[in-house]
Amino acid sequence: MTQQAIDQASADPGDGTGGSGLSPAAFADRAGLIEREVQRVIVGQGALVRQTLICLVANGHALLEGVPGLGKTMLVRTIAEVLDCTFNRIQFTPDLMPADIVGTNVLVEEGGQRVFRFQPGPVFANLLLADEINRATPKTQSALLEAMQEQQVSVARERHLLSPPFFVLATQNPLEMEGTYPLPEAQLDRFLFKLWVPFPSEADLITIVERTTGPTTAHAEAVADAAQIVAMQRLARSVPIAPHVTAYAVSVLAATHPDGPRAPQLVREYVRYGGSPRGAQALVLAGKINALLEGRYNVATDDIRAVALPALRHRVIRNFEGEAEGITSDAIVRAVLDAVAPPAVD
Amino acid sequence: MNPTPPDTSEARILQLRRSLRPFRRRLWVRRLVRDGTRLAAVVAAFGLALAGAARLTPLEWAPLGAAALVIAALLALLIDAARVRPTLAETAMALDAEQGLRDRLASALALADGLHGDRTDAASHEALIRLQRDDALRSLAAADKRAFRPRLPQRAMAVTIVCAALIVPALVLPNPQSAILVAREEQREAADQQARRVDQTADRLGIGRESPDPRADVAEELRRLAKNLRDRPEDLDEHLARLGSMEDALRSRLEPGAEQRAAAMTSLSRSLSQLATGSDSNPEGDPEEAADDLDEVADALDDMSDAERAELARRLAELEPVARQAGPEARGALQDAATALARGDTAAAREALDKLGEALERGQRQIDLNRDLARGANDVQDARRALAGGEPTRTGAGGQPGQPGSSGQPGQPGQPGSSPVPAISPAPGQPGSSGQPGQPGQPGASGQPGQPGQGGQPGQGGQPGQGGQPGQGGQPGQGGQPGQGGQPGQGGQPGQGGQPGQGQGQGQGSLGGGGSNARYLGSGTGQGAARGPTTGNRQFGTGELDPVYADFDRLGPPGDPSYIAGSGGDGQIDPGSGQGAGTGDEGIVPYTDVYQDFHDFAITTLDRSYVPVDVKDYVRDYFSTLGGGR
Repeated sequence: MTQQAIDQASADPGDGTGGSGLSPAAFADRAGLIEREVQRVIVGQGALVRQTLICLVANGHALLEGVPGLGKTMLVRTIAEVLDCTFNRIQFTPDLMPADIVGTNVLVEEGGQRVFRFQPGPVFANLLLADEINRATPKTQSALLEAMQEQQVSVARERHLLSPPFFVLATQNPLEMEGTYPLPEAQLDRFLFKLWVPFPSEADLITIVERTTGPTTAHAEAVADAAQIVAMQRLARSVPIAPHVTAYAVSVLAATHPDGPRAPQLVREYVRYGGSPRGAQALVLAGKINALLEGRYNVATDDIRAVALPALRHRVIRNFEGEAEGITSDAIVRAVLDAVAPPAVD
Repeated sequence: MNPTPPDTSEARILQLRRSLRPFRRRLWVRRLVRDGTRLAAVVAAFGLALAGAARLTPLEWAPLGAAALVIAALLALLIDAARVRPTLAETAMALDAEQGLRDRLASALALADGLHGDRTDAASHEALIRLQRDDALRSLAAADKRAFRPRLPQRAMAVTIVCAALIVPALVLPNPQSAILVAREEQREAADQQARRVDQTADRLGIGRESPDPRADVAEELRRLAKNLRDRPEDLDEHLARLGSMEDALRSRLEPGAEQRAAAMTSLSRSLSQLATGSDSNPEGDPEEAADDLDEVADALDDMSDAERAELARRLAELEPVARQAGPEARGALQDAATALARGDTAAAREALDKLGEALERGQRQIDLNRDLARGANDVQDARRALAGGEPTRTGAGGQPGQPGSSGQPGQPGQPGSSPVPAISPAPGQPGSSGQPGQPGQPGASGQPGQPGQGGQPGQGGQPGQGGQPGQGGQPGQGGQPGQGGQPGQGGQPGQGGQPGQGQGQGQGSLGGGGSNARYLGSGTGQGAARGPTTGNRQFGTGELDPVYADFDRLGPPGDPSYIAGSGGDGQIDPGSGQGAGTGDEGIVPYTDVYQDFHDFAITTLDRSYVPVDVKDYVRDYFSTLGGGR
């Protein structure tokens, strides 16, 4: 996708299309198209696909966690096919170096002279699959920090912008913890969502088996390009949100803090730190996209609640007691949602 | 999802607000029903508690408390109605929740002011807001118009039903505390009624009088007593004690022989007027009129001859026994006048006559005071008795009239006696002093107010009438014809159980003068003992050693501190020791000659003292019967 196309998509004509000529209805249609196309390959996992799409449209990044063989990589690859974007995959290993991700200056001969020329790394793609990200060293993991947050990389005092959309999908295996380097909280916070890839149901398994053991393999068609994704991102941010809904999102986030006035008992006992302000941003932005995906122009408290789990589960840091007791982050977030009911009038 | 033209955006929001108003009214009603049900539960719970408490202890304010509870609940509901009136934003949020509109309406209203602040995507943001308003309007149009149906809080409703179900029997079943409340109410009414009575007594005593007149002080004390009665009707014992104390205080001021003295005063006044004018110009025995007549006599002294003055002196001297009963002041003045006239000292006689007139007037005032205090004491006594029995006097049956006193025994005929002083002329002997008529019986206090369906309790018996003073024996006549026997002593006025007086005149005259009430009884012989008129009962509470004369029923129930029946009079004998000139047949005076005196006295007493109506009739009938015989 060229920069011109992106700039064009970013223009705001004031027609309620978010500057890209994409109407909310077209947004919903396009998103629906993407979801359907992905699910031609990915059996089941509707929520996972929806949440991944939300991350993409929110211009955020997703951390997929699940046992091996559940289709995490397949999902990312399928999304890349559907979006018709540049796609790179990095298999994180302990010996992976930062330069292997962001790129490096290499000495090349140009016109009889030897000059350093920047050789972009795999991070320069619209979609980046960071497979088993917890297997790389923290040094390498942190190489992704700037790219994920600033959507740029700095090499040898030179900044290199990443082309939008830039969407990192990282995966990690919760079982094989030996020889891994758990992501630090700061890096976890860069991910908009942390998605849990559930084990498919028996019906879905049957379908998976049938699809993958036959003579043909399902393939997804590209139904959207990078410019359209950018347009969708633009439109999503334009969705107005009522003050009481924003306040609710903030209340939910505040309740994840043990010293919050509305924190439930579970939080007070087992949480060391609650979500950062990025958590509230994630709630609101993801809520807007969720509303658009459901064909609405307003964000409801239900939208906030719908995205609260993936948006907050990696931002709630349990204390020792919580970990010892086996209190999951999901349980904590659910307790928060139970404690902070939407504003109601009777 | 087509964008709406910008020019209609504001109209859309207005339409949204307009469309929300019916829902707002319905939401208001729902809130009122909800809060009203809760209030009803609270009222029912408190009402049940109140009804239960009212069955355990007498709560006079229970009905008032229940009414106050209901009024307070209505007031609270009214305030709540103003408080819970929903805003449009609240209505939108409630409708969103109830109809599953996903905050469409609330967001549209919240964003009604449009864009705030600088935004780079202001135009698209506004466009989205317009879309949102359209979406909200469509959602509102599709919403159920019967949304916000009133919902009754189940717990509050259950509490209300249970409490109401328990309150009904608590109110319908007989309440043992009701009798106590009724008794208290009756006590209050009785106290109020007696307070009015005491006030009336105070007015009667105090109006137009100022201290140091004791009646003014008594009136003031009575008013304080009445105020206490009204303010604290429940302090029955204290009020009874104070009433008793007041009654005792009043009675302690009474002059015991006041009525005897009053009779003597009347008789003396009448005699003096007759003496002064030569006719029965003062049949009522008015002391003031007598004083005026004495003034005229005093003025005419200088014009009298010596014989006339001597005659006047003699006749004045004849009145000395009566004057003695009228009081020492009158007696002294009379003696001085008689002495001065006998000496021919007209100036001293004039002065003495003036003093006599003043003494008569002062005596009359004293008698009036005594009578007022006696009436006040009787009123206080009645009030105390009524209060003790809780007997309102307005509805009870009339009390039993006092029993008439027994008539006195006829006086014994006087024995012819030898007069130590020769009779100058066949003048009539000195009359035996008439027995004082017994005090009329006190009115019976009215009975208890009739309970519904029950006959009224009989009223308490009247106070025993004060018996008549014992008739004094006739003065011994001098040289009269043998007495034909004294006139029968007039019985006391109807009083209760008056003992017959046993006056016995002991005349020494030649003609026995019977002890009689006769004013001019023939001079009787020495032994003419008059079994004078009866004496009535003693004053209330003094006859402890005498037989109780009232039957039990009229004494009231045990513990009733009403009265102690009077006992018979002492029937004291006042032996005649006068030296009246007995005459012949004039010693016998037909009762027709003294009828008028007794009649006048009785009528005066009826007018001046509190006498029950039926007793009045009895007295009048008595005299009518005698009058008819005449």
